[in-house]
Amino acid sequence: MSHDIRNTPVGSGPNDGAVPQSPPLGSGAAGMERILKRETHPSRAVVAMIAAVLVSVVCGYALLETAVRAVGQPPWLLDPLKAAERVVALPAGIPPLLLGVTGAVVTMAGLFFFLNAVLPGRRARHPFPDRRAAVVVDDEVIAAALARRVRVAANVTPEQVMVVVSQNRVMVNVRPTSGVPLRQDAVLEAVRRELQDMRPVPMPEVRIQVATAGVVGA
Amino acid sequence: MNNTPRVLNRILIGIVGITLLAIGVLLMLLVSVPAVATWWHGWAGGALSFWLGLFERTPFPGRQESWLWLVICLVLVVVLGLMVAWVAQQGKGRTNLLVAEEDPGGVPGNVAIGGGVAEQALRAALADRPDLTGVTVAAYAIRGEPALKIRVEPRQGVAPHTLAAEISALVEALDAVIGKRTPVLIRIGTGARSRFGRAERVH
Repeated sequence: MSHDIRNTPVGSGPNDGAVPQSPPLGSGAAGMERILKRETHPSRAVVAMIAAVLVSVVCGYALLETAVRAVGQPPWLLDPLKAAERVVALPAGIPPLLLGVTGAVVTMAGLFFFLNAVLPGRRARHPFPDRRAAVVVDDEVIAAALARRVRVAANVTPEQVMVVVSQNRVMVNVRPTSGVPLRQDAVLEAVRRELQDMRPVPMPEVRIQVATAGVVGA
Repeated sequence: MNNTPRVLNRILIGIVGITLLAIGVLLMLLVSVPAVATWWHGWAGGALSFWLGLFERTPFPGRQESWLWLVICLVLVVVLGLMVAWVAQQGKGRTNLLVAEEDPGGVPGNVAIGGGVAEQALRAALADRPDLTGVTVAAYAIRGEPALKIRVEPRQGVAPHTLAAEISALVEALDAVIGKRTPVLIRIGTGARSRFGRAERVH
């Protein structure tokens, strides 16, 4: 503890000694971790609703036919027992191609739901440290801010810069103006400094790619 | 940050997915592998005759139909009800009250502050900023405790960390007004207006 205090530069420390220089993520109150986790992971609400509607439609139709059968009326489309017999006799009674394609479609739908349930799924967002609140920023916003910085540092038009932000990497693509040299190190340094000011978690690694063909007349 | 039941969603979606996968793979195998077809005839035929026997042994008194049909109806109704309940669970958790506490002063009664107070105050504070295209403030109940979600949509190119710091300062001012520190989430995102509107140029 004393070690930390000794290393703190005199004069630049915060006025309140208890406040750390770099506040933790989502400081402020209990339950913030839960909020941050919920904000950076998908809830699968839409997929859940699709699944629920699917099951409801199938059950609704089955309910209709069983209820009709239970009161001894003729079936609407298909008698449940006849349907069961047809299912038992399956490879017969239906064109094999149609059966195979149906199987493939059902398998794809099953795969969609299964992967949605099993894969962790991360939203394209980064949490930022803040003194009071939990801050979650879309990667798109980070990319737009970095692109603006690159545009100023490289002295090019907005159309010549493309920045892609993913979980662990920032990819900067610049197409220089033809005849005007572009200082790659300066651009990279500008992006790094901007990212260090933002302090996203996790901190992505910056890569820059300067196109070999320049833009004429930009 | 709403109270969508995420674990339940994953489990139920997984069950639906595995069921569909099994049915689809079985259909494809029935077409392609003859051995599977003979196994299927034996297994499913046995299951069907078991059910047929069950239906014959359970007739309504005085009638031909089995009362098992009614039981199946009931089960299906229950499943339908559960599906409706599942859908109703999605995205809930909004609350109206930001603070609801007993007044420790001399006057008996409770003090309640609505979420609209925070919303109006923050909206008014952020209204004349040219670098924002949209502000939404909503109160949610996180494990019974009210929490505030502030969603802002900046124009393209706005530095998110400075924006977050400025909103955070506003929240601290709001804390002083309300007299209680509620958990706050600041979400900086994009919408149609911020994506296609003009970029922020002057800073």
